[in-house]
Amino acid sequence: MIELKNISITLNDNVILDDVTLNIEMGMNTIVLGPSGAGKSSILKIILGLWKPDNGEIIFEGKNVCKMTDDEILQLRKKVGIVFQGNALFDSLTVAENILYFLPGKKKLSENELKYKIEELLSFVNLSGTENLYPEELSGGMKKRVAIARALAFNPQVVLFDEPTTGLDPINTESILELIEKLKQNGTTSVVVTHILDDAIEVGDNFIVINEGKIVEAGSLEKILRSKNPFVNEFFKRFIEENHNPFIRISKEVNK
Amino acid sequence: MTRFQKMIFGLQEFSLLIKDIFAHLGSVKDNWTETIQEMYLIGTKSFFLIFLGGLFIGIILAIETGHQLETFGATAWIAKTVSLGMVRELGPVIAGLLLAARTGAKNTSELGAMQLSEQIDALRAFGASPVEKLVIPRTIAALVMFLPLTLIADIVGILGGMLVSNQTFHSDISVFWNTAVTSLKMKDLFVGFLKPIFFGFFIATISCYFGLTTKGGTTGLGKNTINAVVYSSALILVIDFIFTKVVWELL
Ligand SMILES: Nc1ncnc2c1ncn2[C@@H]1O[C@H](COP(=O)(O)OP(=O)(O)OP(=O)(O)O)[C@@H](O)[C@H]1O
Ligand SMILES: [Mg+2]
Repeated sequence: MIELKNISITLNDNVILDDVTLNIEMGMNTIVLGPSGAGKSSILKIILGLWKPDNGEIIFEGKNVCKMTDDEILQLRKKVGIVFQGNALFDSLTVAENILYFLPGKKKLSENELKYKIEELLSFVNLSGTENLYPEELSGGMKKRVAIARALAFNPQVVLFDEPTTGLDPINTESILELIEKLKQNGTTSVVVTHILDDAIEVGDNFIVINEGKIVEAGSLEKILRSKNPFVNEFFKRFIEENHNPFIRISKEVNK
Repeated sequence: MTRFQKMIFGLQEFSLLIKDIFAHLGSVKDNWTETIQEMYLIGTKSFFLIFLGGLFIGIILAIETGHQLETFGATAWIAKTVSLGMVRELGPVIAGLLLAARTGAKNTSELGAMQLSEQIDALRAFGASPVEKLVIPRTIAALVMFLPLTLIADIVGILGGMLVSNQTFHSDISVFWNTAVTSLKMKDLFVGFLKPIFFGFFIATISCYFGLTTKGGTTGLGKNTINAVVYSSALILVIDFIFTKVVWELL
């Protein structure tokens, strides 16, 4: 379990997170929902120790991340993959180099094994044949999928996805969501930040709703939907209404 | 924070970066590819600039001192002036200033753009250290490459001075060369070759520091690139003064 306890952080006099306490259960898909600027991406950066909180602690495998030495933090990060919201691909490296850059023990692998690994990962994200392209030659959605392949390259125990489906077409969205499900079956823990409710509900086991740096609700989908919190109701209103929308209901039935 | 507090804070951060560099210097063996690539970039891409800089400074030095010395009929001294001037002072300073602009701007803009597009965060997120992957290769490359480049500036400057004084003041080429070489004592060479190592170290670390601390989008990147070039150029002049005044007297 990854625990955040009473995390607060202020940057440039801006309160980014305010007394955030949450648990991420291993082997489950945790969804972080919230409007733009709520602090969703910040939570991921805190979990990885990229940002140091002003207050509070992060417990990963029983250890406080804030008190770890640099070496311990590096070891922790090797267990956690992340897909950044802006992809953060290395633009001086090709797709294949981006994916293999951090692979531990890659020096021990033969040329063919590496090639096989790349092909496997790229076909996983529907990007076969793009090995030698540079990030600037890819579309936004393709970059996102390379970033996903990079995060999965070293078989991390935990993957943090920051808006993995934003800007993708329905087919690629579906394949990313299937991928997250597949990872779960292999025992991987996913934390998915998103504001697309359909996607959240398709893969989510646990939900965390955050607004203005504070947790407003956390728990199962039922608990969230039954919430009395006005912000949560407002946030989910459109989704609930859409499900009552006859067009959507009929198209779902027809497609079954 | 006031400006003064910001400066103290910046100095503290910079010293921490330097401490980090020394603490992880051994990691260079895992990052040979990056280091060799940076050496290649500094070496090949700056060669022509340094060549031109050294050549013209040597020529100008010969012309200016030649005209003064000619009035005393002492044009034989041009060789000594040019060779000591180039090796001790002008070679290292000109090479240093040109490299501060070239290498400094390159490092800050590269690392700054990586910082802004979260590539630095990505490095850290995947368990790599930006100091090991980016800063140390650039520092080692500067430490290794600045000396030969300065040497080129020195030699080309002396040769330029030699050609000019042969054309303008009719001095004999072989006499000029012999005087130029024999005027140089161990101490001159030592100071002249130690300077580029210090310059290289500070240009690389200052420019990497400004790159890694970039914030505030493209304006911030522009500002930091300017700062990197300005601070390292100023520091070169200060270090040069310290060498000329203090180190020279200690030796
Ligand atoms: N480097 C930074 N320095 C200062 N403030 C920041 C920084 N990064 C983000 N913020 C602020 O932190 C708050 C939360 O940002 P965050 O990126 O976590 O939001 P988010 O929930 O991911 O939003 P979005 O859905 O738009 O990505 C915002 O108000 C933002 O202005
Ligand atoms: Mg975000």
